[in-house]
Amino acid sequence: MKSLFQTNMKTPLLAVLLVFATAFVARAQGSRIQLSSLDHLAAKASQSVDVTIDERLMKVAAKAFSDKDADEREVKKLVAGIKGIYVKSFEFDAEGQYSAADVESIRTQLRAPGWSRLVNFTSKKEGSLEVYMLMEGDQIGGLAVLSVDEKEFTIVNIVGPVDLEKLARLEGQLGVPELGLEPTKPKTKNEKN
Amino acid sequence: MKTIFITIMLLAALMSTTVGHAKGDDFNSVVKMIEHFYRVKHQGIPFLAKTGMKVATTAARIKGGQAKRIAEAGSIKLAVFEDQNFAGDFMKFRASLNDALNVTWMPLIQTLSGKNEEQVYIFLKSAGEKYDVLVVTIEQRDASVVQVTLSSKNLAILLRDPEATGKAITEEATISDPE
Repeated sequence: MKSLFQTNMKTPLLAVLLVFATAFVARAQGSRIQLSSLDHLAAKASQSVDVTIDERLMKVAAKAFSDKDADEREVKKLVAGIKGIYVKSFEFDAEGQYSAADVESIRTQLRAPGWSRLVNFTSKKEGSLEVYMLMEGDQIGGLAVLSVDEKEFTIVNIVGPVDLEKLARLEGQLGVPELGLEPTKPKTKNEKN
Repeated sequence: MKTIFITIMLLAALMSTTVGHAKGDDFNSVVKMIEHFYRVKHQGIPFLAKTGMKVATTAARIKGGQAKRIAEAGSIKLAVFEDQNFAGDFMKFRASLNDALNVTWMPLIQTLSGKNEEQVYIFLKSAGEKYDVLVVTIEQRDASVVQVTLSSKNLAILLRDPEATGKAITEEATISDPE
């Protein structure tokens, strides 16, 4: 009887520990968006890309880019402080391959405290583009870009201090897809006046 | 108490097995994993050289060092699977591959093409001052596993454009020269 009682008590205790552990991990991850809920879309997609540049790899990248080469120096500056770049992108042959629930699984996370939407562009032709930023105090903690249209679903999540300008410059590099964000051009003398 | 102890011991045993597996010769483990999952057999370079198949020139190229444009000289490990059936649940394969390698290797990019049933996986790990890169490519009838060592300079090229550079690594190791 005693052992039965012990067994019965163990389950809730383990469940409580699991909840605490999950909460701890979620807190530690900060601006990291959980993207695994989208994994099932790869089976339906005509093309899927999954980029994972985690903190270990970002440290490697920071070392790999040389200060001697101008282009690499530029990338090195862009990635300084970034703790992770995560991309999931799916292209489909037909419409209706992903559900509203799939989009919602991402948007729900981006409604969490600290996140705010910077850009919300919707067009019938080009779909929608949403850019979210996480503020941690007065520092940028991360960015997320959600780009969806009828046959495409892309989510880019950058963990660390990155603004839109940096993100635009990272397009096409380190696995960040072309999102159509224009980097701001340096102002000419006339524009400044 | 006994149950908890047994569970801990089992978990420890499982973890040591996983770590041991990942720390060993991962290249051969991945080749074996493909063979087991898809029930195929890889062809070694000497065999291909004897039969004069398209990869025959690859051995010469590797020996001749042409592939060191990206890879460090003498660092290439290559296993090729030609004209075999790679039909199977690629989602399951991806999960198994990630489970096996995630301890010691860092996943960089994974692309799946449903249309061509093509899968490309690129993993990376530090090797002292240099970096080991593992590129696994699986198509409908062919597959290859390539492991190369990269200098820091070439790693920067890979990181800037992982998809194209990963493809270039595989192509350098497997495509025959136009003669």
